[in-house]
Amino acid sequence: MKINNVVIIGAGTMGQGIAQWFAQQNIVVEMVDQNFEFAQKSLERIRESLVKLESLGKLTSAQVTEMKKNLSVKKLEHVNTKADLVVEAIIENLDVKKNLFKDLDLLMSKETILATNTSSFPVTQIASSLSADRKKNFLGLHFFNPATIMKLVEVINGMETDKNVSAFLIKWFNDKKKIACECSDSPGFIVNRVARNFYGEALRAVECYTEDKCREVDTVMKEVGGFKMGPFELMDLIGIDINFSVTESVYNSFFHEARFKPHRLQRDMVAANRLGKKTGKGFYHYES
Amino acid sequence: MNPNTMVVAHPDHPLYMELIKHFKVRTIDEALNTYETCELVIDLSPLRTQKKFLFIKELAKTTKAPIISDLTLSWGEWILKYAPHVGATLSTLFYNPTNAFEYSLRDSGDAEMKKNIEDFAAVMNLKAIEHKNLGLSFHYPRTIAMIINEAYFALGEKLATPESIDLAMKNGVNYPLGPIEWGEKIGLHNVAQLLEELNTITRDERYRLSPELKLQAFKHF
Repeated sequence: MKINNVVIIGAGTMGQGIAQWFAQQNIVVEMVDQNFEFAQKSLERIRESLVKLESLGKLTSAQVTEMKKNLSVKKLEHVNTKADLVVEAIIENLDVKKNLFKDLDLLMSKETILATNTSSFPVTQIASSLSADRKKNFLGLHFFNPATIMKLVEVINGMETDKNVSAFLIKWFNDKKKIACECSDSPGFIVNRVARNFYGEALRAVECYTEDKCREVDTVMKEVGGFKMGPFELMDLIGIDINFSVTESVYNSFFHEARFKPHRLQRDMVAANRLGKKTGKGFYHYES
Repeated sequence: MNPNTMVVAHPDHPLYMELIKHFKVRTIDEALNTYETCELVIDLSPLRTQKKFLFIKELAKTTKAPIISDLTLSWGEWILKYAPHVGATLSTLFYNPTNAFEYSLRDSGDAEMKKNIEDFAAVMNLKAIEHKNLGLSFHYPRTIAMIINEAYFALGEKLATPESIDLAMKNGVNYPLGPIEWGEKIGLHNVAQLLEELNTITRDERYRLSPELKLQAFKHF
Protein backbone atom coordinates (compact mmCIF):
# COMPACT_ATOMS: atom_id res chain seq x y z
CA MET A 1 0.00 0.00 0.00
CA LYS A 2 1.13 3.55 -0.74
CA ILE A 3 -0.29 7.06 -0.82
CA ASN A 4 0.92 9.12 -3.78
CA ASN A 5 -2.35 10.22 -5.37
CA VAL A 6 -5.40 11.39 -3.50
CA VAL A 7 -8.86 12.52 -4.57
CA ILE A 8 -10.73 14.86 -2.23
CA ILE A 9 -14.46 15.08 -2.82
CA GLY A 10 -16.16 18.17 -1.45
CA ALA A 11 -14.42 21.55 -1.64
CA GLY A 12 -15.96 23.18 1.43
CA THR A 13 -13.97 24.19 4.50
CA MET A 14 -13.00 20.66 5.45
CA GLY A 15 -12.32 19.43 1.91
CA GLN A 16 -10.20 22.45 1.16
CA GLY A 17 -8.17 22.04 4.36
CA ILE A 18 -7.67 18.31 3.80
CA ALA A 19 -6.62 18.91 0.18
CA GLN A 20 -4.10 21.52 1.23
CA TRP A 21 -2.66 19.28 3.94
CA PHE A 22 -2.14 16.42 1.46
CA ALA A 23 -0.63 18.82 -1.07
CA GLN A 24 1.81 19.98 1.60
CA GLN A 25 2.94 16.37 1.94
CA ASN A 26 3.86 16.41 -1.77
CA ILE A 27 0.93 14.20 -2.68
CA VAL A 28 -0.84 14.67 -6.01
CA VAL A 29 -4.30 15.95 -5.10
CA GLU A 30 -7.39 16.14 -7.28
CA MET A 31 -10.30 18.14 -5.86
CA VAL A 32 -13.87 17.39 -6.86
CA ASP A 33 -17.08 19.22 -6.06
CA GLN A 34 -20.51 19.02 -7.64
CA ASN A 35 -20.07 22.76 -8.18
CA PHE A 36 -16.96 22.93 -10.38
CA GLU A 37 -16.50 26.69 -10.01
CA PHE A 38 -16.72 26.41 -6.24
CA ALA A 39 -13.93 23.83 -6.32
CA GLN A 40 -11.84 26.16 -8.47
CA LYS A 41 -12.32 28.94 -5.92
CA SER A 42 -11.23 26.56 -3.15
CA LEU A 43 -8.16 25.68 -5.16
CA GLU A 44 -7.41 29.38 -5.54
CA ARG A 45 -7.70 29.86 -1.77
CA ILE A 46 -5.27 26.98 -1.21
CA ARG A 47 -2.80 28.57 -3.61
CA GLU A 48 -3.11 31.90 -1.79
CA SER A 49 -2.58 30.15 1.52
CA LEU A 50 0.57 28.44 0.20
CA VAL A 51 1.92 31.78 -1.00
CA LYS A 52 1.21 33.25 2.43
CA LEU A 53 3.11 30.38 4.06
CA GLU A 54 6.00 31.15 1.71
CA SER A 55 5.94 34.83 2.69
CA LEU A 56 6.07 33.77 6.35
CA GLY A 57 9.13 31.66 5.59
CA LYS A 58 7.37 28.40 6.39
CA LEU A 59 7.67 27.07 2.84
CA THR A 60 10.26 27.72 0.15
CA SER A 61 9.38 29.04 -3.29
CA ALA A 62 10.37 25.69 -4.82
CA GLN A 63 8.09 23.81 -2.40
CA VAL A 64 5.15 26.08 -3.19
CA THR A 65 5.71 25.68 -6.93
CA GLU A 66 5.72 21.90 -6.54
CA MET A 67 2.63 21.88 -4.32
CA LYS A 68 0.70 24.08 -6.71
CA LYS A 69 1.66 21.76 -9.55
CA ASN A 70 0.30 18.81 -7.60
CA LEU A 71 -3.11 20.40 -7.05
CA SER A 72 -5.92 20.33 -9.59
CA VAL A 73 -9.70 20.44 -9.86
CA LYS A 74 -11.47 17.65 -11.72
CA LYS A 75 -14.94 16.47 -12.48
CA LEU A 76 -15.69 13.14 -10.83
CA GLU A 77 -15.76 11.27 -14.14
CA HIS A 78 -12.27 12.57 -14.99
CA VAL A 79 -10.36 11.76 -11.79
CA ASN A 80 -7.46 9.37 -11.74
CA THR A 81 -9.29 6.12 -11.14
CA LYS A 82 -6.09 4.53 -9.88
CA ALA A 83 -5.69 7.07 -7.05
CA ASP A 84 -4.49 5.48 -3.82
CA LEU A 85 -7.02 7.19 -1.58
CA VAL A 86 -10.32 9.03 -1.90
CA VAL A 87 -11.45 11.21 1.00
CA GLU A 88 -15.08 12.30 0.96
CA ALA A 89 -15.88 15.57 2.75
CA ILE A 90 -19.31 16.47 1.40
CA ILE A 91 -22.54 17.47 3.12
CA GLU A 92 -23.56 15.42 6.21
CA ASN A 93 -26.41 13.59 4.51
CA LEU A 94 -26.40 9.82 4.77
CA ASP A 95 -28.21 9.08 1.50
CA VAL A 96 -26.05 11.49 -0.49
CA LYS A 97 -22.90 9.93 0.95
CA LYS A 98 -24.09 6.39 0.30
CA ASN A 99 -24.92 7.22 -3.33
CA LEU A 100 -21.54 8.86 -3.83
CA PHE A 101 -19.69 5.83 -2.48
CA LYS A 102 -21.79 3.52 -4.64
CA ASP A 103 -20.56 5.48 -7.67
CA LEU A 104 -16.98 5.53 -6.40
CA ASP A 105 -17.09 1.78 -5.87
CA LEU A 106 -17.74 1.33 -9.58
CA LEU A 107 -15.42 4.10 -10.73
CA MET A 108 -12.27 3.57 -8.72
CA SER A 109 -9.67 0.82 -8.96
CA LYS A 110 -10.28 -2.04 -6.54
CA GLU A 111 -7.05 -1.17 -4.69
CA THR A 112 -8.17 2.41 -3.96
CA ILE A 113 -8.92 3.07 -0.31
CA LEU A 114 -12.20 4.94 0.16
CA ALA A 115 -12.61 7.10 3.25
CA THR A 116 -15.30 9.32 4.69
CA ASN A 117 -14.64 12.41 6.78
CA THR A 118 -18.09 12.15 8.35
CA SER A 119 -18.33 13.49 11.88
CA SER A 120 -21.66 11.97 12.72
CA PHE A 121 -22.70 8.93 10.67
CA PRO A 122 -21.59 5.40 11.48
CA VAL A 123 -18.93 4.38 8.98
CA THR A 124 -20.49 0.93 8.66
CA GLN A 125 -23.80 2.50 7.67
CA ILE A 126 -22.17 4.56 4.91
CA ALA A 127 -20.36 1.43 3.73
CA SER A 128 -23.63 -0.44 3.30
CA SER A 129 -23.87 0.69 -0.35
CA LEU A 130 -20.48 -0.83 -1.20
CA SER A 131 -19.58 -4.21 -2.63
CA ALA A 132 -18.27 -6.80 -0.17
CA ASP A 133 -14.66 -6.47 -1.34
CA ARG A 134 -14.70 -2.70 -1.23
CA LYS A 135 -15.94 -2.66 2.36
CA LYS A 136 -12.52 -4.00 3.37
CA ASN A 137 -10.94 -0.90 1.81
CA PHE A 138 -13.36 1.53 3.39
CA LEU A 139 -12.96 3.43 6.64
CA GLY A 140 -13.47 6.76 8.37
CA LEU A 141 -10.76 9.43 8.39
CA HIS A 142 -12.03 12.22 10.57
CA PHE A 143 -9.94 15.37 10.25
CA PHE A 144 -10.33 18.42 12.47
CA ASN A 145 -10.69 22.01 11.37
CA PRO A 146 -8.37 23.60 10.29
CA ALA A 147 -6.98 20.37 8.85
CA THR A 148 -3.62 21.96 7.99
CA ILE A 149 -3.03 22.84 11.66
CA MET A 150 -4.96 20.37 13.80
CA LYS A 151 -2.86 17.26 14.16
CA LEU A 152 -5.56 14.76 15.00
CA VAL A 153 -7.05 12.29 12.55
CA GLU A 154 -9.49 9.76 13.93
CA VAL A 155 -9.09 6.52 12.00
CA ILE A 156 -12.37 4.67 12.27
CA ASN A 157 -12.73 1.00 11.51
CA GLY A 158 -16.07 -0.03 10.11
CA MET A 159 -17.28 -3.55 10.87
CA GLU A 160 -15.79 -4.87 7.62
CA THR A 161 -12.68 -2.71 7.42
CA ASP A 162 -9.47 -4.67 6.86
CA LYS A 163 -7.31 -3.84 9.91
CA ASN A 164 -4.23 -3.87 7.68
CA VAL A 165 -5.67 -0.89 5.83
CA SER A 166 -6.25 1.13 9.00
CA ALA A 167 -2.86 0.09 10.43
CA PHE A 168 -1.16 1.21 7.23
CA LEU A 169 -2.91 4.60 7.32
CA ILE A 170 -2.19 5.15 11.01
CA LYS A 171 1.50 4.61 10.37
CA TRP A 172 1.39 6.74 7.24
CA PHE A 173 -0.27 9.67 9.04
CA ASN A 174 2.03 9.38 12.03
CA ASP A 175 5.03 9.45 9.68
CA LYS A 176 3.62 12.69 8.27
CA LYS A 177 3.40 14.20 11.79
CA LYS A 178 -0.34 13.84 12.16
CA ILE A 179 -1.61 12.13 15.29
CA ALA A 180 -3.73 9.23 14.13
CA CYS A 181 -5.98 7.69 16.79
CA GLU A 182 -7.68 4.43 15.98
CA CYS A 183 -11.22 3.95 17.19
CA SER A 184 -14.17 1.71 16.56
CA ASP A 185 -17.31 2.77 14.76
CA SER A 186 -19.41 4.37 17.48
CA PRO A 187 -21.48 7.58 17.30
CA GLY A 188 -19.33 10.71 17.56
CA PHE A 189 -16.19 8.52 17.51
CA ILE A 190 -13.86 9.81 20.27
CA VAL A 191 -13.86 13.60 20.21
CA ASN A 192 -17.42 14.45 19.26
CA ARG A 193 -18.65 12.00 21.85
CA VAL A 194 -16.39 12.76 24.83
CA ALA A 195 -16.65 16.52 24.26
CA ARG A 196 -20.45 16.56 24.24
CA ASN A 197 -20.73 17.27 27.94
CA PHE A 198 -18.33 20.18 27.80
CA TYR A 199 -21.34 21.88 26.20
CA GLY A 200 -24.17 19.84 27.70
CA GLU A 201 -23.18 20.37 31.30
CA ALA A 202 -22.49 24.06 30.73
CA LEU A 203 -25.97 24.47 29.28
CA ARG A 204 -27.46 22.81 32.34
CA ALA A 205 -25.36 24.96 34.68
CA VAL A 206 -26.83 28.06 33.04
CA GLU A 207 -30.32 26.57 32.53
CA CYS A 208 -32.02 29.92 31.83
CA TYR A 209 -30.05 32.10 29.48
CA THR A 210 -28.35 35.31 30.47
CA GLU A 211 -25.12 36.48 28.92
CA ASP A 212 -23.60 37.01 32.39
CA LYS A 213 -24.20 33.38 33.35
CA CYS A 214 -22.58 32.18 30.12
CA ARG A 215 -19.61 34.45 30.74
CA GLU A 216 -19.24 33.11 34.28
CA VAL A 217 -19.15 29.49 33.07
CA ASP A 218 -16.68 30.38 30.31
CA THR A 219 -14.44 32.22 32.77
CA VAL A 220 -14.42 29.31 35.20
CA MET A 221 -13.71 26.71 32.52
CA LYS A 222 -10.78 28.76 31.21
CA GLU A 223 -9.37 30.03 34.50
CA VAL A 224 -9.91 26.89 36.56
CA GLY A 225 -10.20 24.15 33.94
CA GLY A 226 -7.39 25.45 31.74
CA PHE A 227 -9.46 25.22 28.55
CA LYS A 228 -8.47 27.63 25.79
CA MET A 229 -12.08 28.63 25.20
CA GLY A 230 -15.18 28.34 27.32
CA PRO A 231 -18.11 26.20 26.14
CA PHE A 232 -20.32 29.15 25.15
CA GLU A 233 -17.56 30.95 23.28
CA LEU A 234 -16.77 27.73 21.51
CA MET A 235 -20.39 27.03 20.56
CA ASP A 236 -20.61 30.56 19.15
CA LEU A 237 -17.44 29.96 17.15
CA ILE A 238 -18.46 26.53 15.83
CA GLY A 239 -22.01 27.66 15.13
CA ILE A 240 -24.79 26.86 17.60
CA ASP A 241 -26.76 25.17 14.79
CA ILE A 242 -23.85 22.88 13.93
CA ASN A 243 -23.18 22.05 17.57
CA PHE A 244 -26.90 21.37 18.12
CA SER A 245 -27.01 19.17 15.05
CA VAL A 246 -24.02 17.08 16.21
CA THR A 247 -25.61 16.76 19.67
CA GLU A 248 -28.91 15.61 18.15
CA SER A 249 -27.11 13.17 15.90
CA VAL A 250 -25.14 11.58 18.78
CA TYR A 251 -28.26 11.56 20.98
CA ASN A 252 -30.32 9.81 18.30
CA SER A 253 -27.54 7.38 17.44
CA PHE A 254 -27.37 6.32 21.09
CA PHE A 255 -31.14 5.77 21.12
CA HIS A 256 -31.82 8.78 23.36
CA GLU A 257 -29.20 8.15 25.99
CA ALA A 258 -29.72 10.84 28.67
CA ARG A 259 -26.05 11.84 28.74
CA PHE A 260 -26.32 13.25 25.24
CA LYS A 261 -29.72 14.89 25.48
CA PRO A 262 -29.71 18.27 23.74
CA HIS A 263 -30.77 21.33 25.75
CA ARG A 264 -33.74 23.53 24.88
CA LEU A 265 -31.47 26.58 24.92
CA GLN A 266 -29.69 25.20 21.85
CA ARG A 267 -32.99 24.73 20.05
CA ASP A 268 -34.22 28.19 21.07
CA MET A 269 -31.01 29.86 19.92
CA VAL A 270 -31.28 28.16 16.54
CA ALA A 271 -34.96 29.12 16.24
CA ALA A 272 -34.02 32.74 16.93
CA ASN A 273 -31.26 32.56 14.30
CA ARG A 274 -28.73 33.33 17.03
CA LEU A 275 -26.17 30.95 15.59
CA GLY A 276 -23.04 32.52 17.02
CA LYS A 277 -20.34 34.60 15.44
CA LYS A 278 -21.53 33.96 11.90
CA THR A 279 -24.84 35.74 12.55
CA GLY A 280 -23.38 38.36 14.92
CA LYS A 281 -25.39 36.98 17.84
CA GLY A 282 -25.33 33.77 19.78
CA PHE A 283 -24.74 33.37 23.48
CA TYR A 284 -22.80 36.62 23.10
CA HIS A 285 -23.20 39.67 20.88
CA TYR A 286 -20.60 40.43 18.21
CA GLU A 287 -19.98 43.68 16.43
CA SER A 288 -20.41 43.38 12.69
CA MET B 1 -4.99 36.06 56.47
CA ASN B 2 -6.57 35.81 59.86
CA PRO B 3 -3.86 34.09 61.92
CA ASN B 4 -6.47 32.34 63.97
CA THR B 5 -7.86 30.22 61.16
CA MET B 6 -8.58 26.54 61.50
CA VAL B 7 -8.60 24.39 58.39
CA VAL B 8 -10.43 21.07 58.32
CA ALA B 9 -8.90 18.76 55.75
CA HIS B 10 -8.13 15.13 55.17
CA PRO B 11 -4.55 14.11 54.26
CA ASP B 12 -5.90 12.99 50.85
CA HIS B 13 -6.85 16.56 49.97
CA PRO B 14 -4.77 17.74 46.97
CA LEU B 15 -3.69 20.89 48.86
CA TYR B 16 -2.91 19.13 52.14
CA MET B 17 0.89 19.43 52.03
CA GLU B 18 0.64 23.13 51.32
CA LEU B 19 -2.12 23.64 53.89
CA ILE B 20 -0.07 22.28 56.77
CA LYS B 21 2.66 24.83 56.03
CA HIS B 22 0.33 27.74 56.71
CA PHE B 23 -2.55 26.62 58.90
CA LYS B 24 -3.48 24.51 61.82
CA VAL B 25 -5.10 21.65 59.98
CA ARG B 26 -7.52 19.35 61.74
CA THR B 27 -9.35 16.23 60.70
CA ILE B 28 -13.13 16.12 60.97
CA ASP B 29 -12.97 14.29 64.32
CA GLU B 30 -10.37 16.66 65.70
CA ALA B 31 -12.35 19.68 64.63
CA LEU B 32 -15.46 18.39 66.38
CA ASN B 33 -13.71 17.36 69.57
CA THR B 34 -11.08 19.97 70.35
CA TYR B 35 -13.18 23.10 70.81
CA GLU B 36 -10.22 25.20 69.72
CA THR B 37 -10.66 28.91 69.68
CA CYS B 38 -10.54 30.24 66.18
CA GLU B 39 -11.89 33.20 64.30
CA LEU B 40 -12.41 31.53 60.95
CA VAL B 41 -12.96 27.94 59.87
CA ILE B 42 -12.10 26.78 56.38
CA ASP B 43 -13.71 23.39 56.00
CA LEU B 44 -12.23 21.37 53.13
CA SER B 45 -13.75 18.05 54.13
CA PRO B 46 -14.74 15.92 51.12
CA LEU B 47 -18.33 15.23 52.14
CA ARG B 48 -21.54 14.84 50.20
CA THR B 49 -24.57 17.01 50.97
CA GLN B 50 -26.17 15.17 53.85
CA LYS B 51 -22.95 14.39 55.72
CA LYS B 52 -21.64 17.85 54.99
CA PHE B 53 -24.76 19.43 56.45
CA LEU B 54 -24.56 17.33 59.61
CA PHE B 55 -20.86 18.04 59.98
CA ILE B 56 -21.37 21.80 59.64
CA LYS B 57 -24.22 21.65 62.13
CA GLU B 58 -22.00 19.88 64.67
CA LEU B 59 -19.05 22.12 63.92
CA ALA B 60 -21.19 25.19 64.56
CA LYS B 61 -21.80 23.90 68.10
CA THR B 62 -18.05 24.03 68.80
CA THR B 63 -17.28 27.48 67.43
CA LYS B 64 -18.90 30.81 66.75
CA ALA B 65 -16.40 31.49 63.96
CA PRO B 66 -17.77 31.95 60.44
CA ILE B 67 -17.32 28.94 58.19
CA ILE B 68 -16.10 28.73 54.63
CA SER B 69 -16.95 25.29 53.35
CA ASP B 70 -15.74 23.27 50.37
CA LEU B 71 -18.85 22.05 48.56
CA THR B 72 -17.23 20.25 45.64
CA LEU B 73 -19.24 17.11 46.42
CA SER B 74 -22.30 18.81 47.85
CA TRP B 75 -25.41 20.55 46.61
CA GLY B 76 -24.22 24.11 47.05
CA GLU B 77 -27.55 25.90 46.93
CA TRP B 78 -29.05 23.57 49.50
CA ILE B 79 -26.21 23.97 52.00
CA LEU B 80 -26.32 27.74 51.67
CA LYS B 81 -30.06 27.71 52.27
CA TYR B 82 -30.07 25.43 55.30
CA ALA B 83 -26.66 25.94 56.93
CA PRO B 84 -26.63 29.59 58.01
CA HIS B 85 -23.17 29.30 59.57
CA VAL B 86 -21.64 28.98 56.13
CA GLY B 87 -20.70 32.43 54.90
CA ALA B 88 -18.92 31.33 51.75
CA THR B 89 -18.23 28.18 49.83
CA LEU B 90 -15.42 27.06 47.60
CA SER B 91 -14.31 24.13 45.51
CA THR B 92 -10.75 22.91 45.96
CA LEU B 93 -11.12 19.14 46.03
CA PHE B 94 -10.65 18.53 42.31
CA TYR B 95 -7.14 18.88 40.91
CA ASN B 96 -7.05 21.50 38.17
CA PRO B 97 -4.26 22.46 35.80
CA THR B 98 -4.25 26.19 36.59
CA ASN B 99 -3.93 26.51 40.38
CA ALA B 100 -7.25 28.27 40.65
CA PHE B 101 -10.54 27.56 42.41
CA GLU B 102 -14.15 28.68 42.31
CA TYR B 103 -15.83 30.28 45.28
CA SER B 104 -19.26 31.64 46.03
CA LEU B 105 -20.40 34.06 48.72
CA ARG B 106 -23.67 33.69 50.59
CA ASP B 107 -24.04 37.45 50.34
CA SER B 108 -22.31 38.88 47.30
CA GLY B 109 -21.78 42.16 49.18
CA ASP B 110 -19.98 40.48 52.09
CA ALA B 111 -16.62 42.25 51.75
CA GLU B 112 -15.14 40.59 54.82
CA MET B 113 -15.86 37.10 53.59
CA LYS B 114 -14.59 37.97 50.13
CA LYS B 115 -11.35 39.19 51.73
CA ASN B 116 -11.06 35.94 53.70
CA ILE B 117 -11.30 33.99 50.45
CA GLU B 118 -8.81 36.23 48.69
CA ASP B 119 -6.39 36.00 51.62
CA PHE B 120 -6.66 32.21 51.62
CA ALA B 121 -5.97 32.18 47.88
CA ALA B 122 -2.95 34.45 48.32
CA VAL B 123 -1.45 32.34 51.10
CA MET B 124 -1.95 29.18 49.05
CA ASN B 125 -0.70 30.84 45.86
CA LEU B 126 -3.98 30.13 44.10
CA LYS B 127 -6.31 32.25 42.03
CA ALA B 128 -9.89 32.65 43.28
CA ILE B 129 -12.65 32.90 40.66
CA GLU B 130 -16.06 34.00 41.87
CA HIS B 131 -19.11 31.93 40.99
CA LYS B 132 -22.25 33.92 41.67
CA ASN B 133 -25.62 32.32 42.32
CA LEU B 134 -24.31 28.87 43.19
CA GLY B 135 -26.86 26.28 42.13
CA LEU B 136 -26.50 22.53 41.98
CA SER B 137 -22.73 22.44 41.93
CA PHE B 138 -19.61 24.36 41.03
CA HIS B 139 -19.05 24.60 37.26
CA TYR B 140 -15.61 23.05 36.90
CA PRO B 141 -16.10 19.83 38.90
CA ARG B 142 -19.48 18.93 37.41
CA THR B 143 -18.31 19.54 33.85
CA ILE B 144 -14.98 17.77 34.09
CA ALA B 145 -16.62 14.86 35.95
CA MET B 146 -19.05 14.39 33.05
CA ILE B 147 -16.25 14.48 30.48
CA ILE B 148 -14.25 11.91 32.45
CA ASN B 149 -17.33 9.72 32.91
CA GLU B 150 -17.95 9.70 29.15
CA ALA B 151 -14.34 8.77 28.49
CA TYR B 152 -14.81 5.78 30.80
CA PHE B 153 -18.07 4.81 29.08
CA ALA B 154 -16.07 4.85 25.84
CA LEU B 155 -13.31 2.76 27.41
CA GLY B 156 -15.82 0.25 28.70
CA GLU B 157 -17.20 -0.10 25.18
CA LYS B 158 -13.67 -0.60 23.79
CA LEU B 159 -14.07 2.46 21.58
CA ALA B 160 -10.34 3.18 21.79
CA THR B 161 -7.37 2.75 24.09
CA PRO B 162 -6.92 5.14 27.05
CA GLU B 163 -3.89 6.61 25.28
CA SER B 164 -5.88 7.23 22.10
CA ILE B 165 -8.71 8.88 24.01
CA ASP B 166 -6.29 11.23 25.77
CA LEU B 167 -4.38 11.99 22.58
CA ALA B 168 -7.57 12.63 20.64
CA MET B 169 -8.97 15.10 23.16
CA LYS B 170 -5.69 16.97 23.50
CA ASN B 171 -5.06 17.20 19.77
CA GLY B 172 -8.60 17.35 18.40
CA VAL B 173 -10.03 19.98 20.74
CA ASN B 174 -6.95 21.26 22.57
CA TYR B 175 -7.86 19.97 26.03
CA PRO B 176 -5.04 20.72 28.47
CA LEU B 177 -5.14 17.10 29.66
CA GLY B 178 -6.72 13.94 28.34
CA PRO B 179 -9.80 12.85 30.31
CA ILE B 180 -8.23 9.61 31.48
CA GLU B 181 -5.12 11.26 32.90
CA TRP B 182 -7.31 14.08 34.25
CA GLY B 183 -9.46 11.58 36.13
CA GLU B 184 -6.39 9.95 37.63
CA LYS B 185 -5.13 13.30 38.87
CA ILE B 186 -8.47 14.22 40.43
CA GLY B 187 -8.98 10.74 41.83
CA LEU B 188 -11.68 8.61 40.27
CA HIS B 189 -13.32 8.09 43.66
CA ASN B 190 -13.90 11.87 43.81
CA VAL B 191 -15.34 11.91 40.29
CA ALA B 192 -17.57 8.96 41.16
CA GLN B 193 -18.79 10.57 44.38
CA LEU B 194 -19.71 13.82 42.66
CA LEU B 195 -21.64 12.05 39.89
CA GLU B 196 -23.44 9.85 42.38
CA GLU B 197 -24.39 12.95 44.36
CA LEU B 198 -25.65 14.75 41.26
CA ASN B 199 -27.60 11.62 40.33
CA THR B 200 -29.07 11.39 43.84
CA ILE B 201 -30.09 15.04 43.89
CA THR B 202 -31.53 15.31 40.39
CA ARG B 203 -32.58 11.72 39.67
CA ASP B 204 -31.36 12.53 36.18
CA GLU B 205 -29.97 9.52 34.32
CA ARG B 206 -27.36 11.72 32.63
CA TYR B 207 -25.30 11.48 35.81
CA ARG B 208 -25.31 7.67 35.79
CA LEU B 209 -21.84 6.40 36.55
CA SER B 210 -19.95 4.46 33.91
CA PRO B 211 -19.48 0.87 35.16
CA GLU B 212 -15.86 1.07 34.04
CA LEU B 213 -15.28 4.22 36.07
CA LYS B 214 -16.94 2.63 39.08
CA LEU B 215 -14.72 -0.42 38.73
CA GLN B 216 -11.59 1.69 38.57
CA ALA B 217 -12.68 4.19 41.24
CA PHE B 218 -13.25 1.66 43.93
CA LYS B 219 -10.56 -0.90 43.11
CA HIS B 220 -8.52 0.10 46.16
CA PHE B 221 -11.38 -0.13 48.62
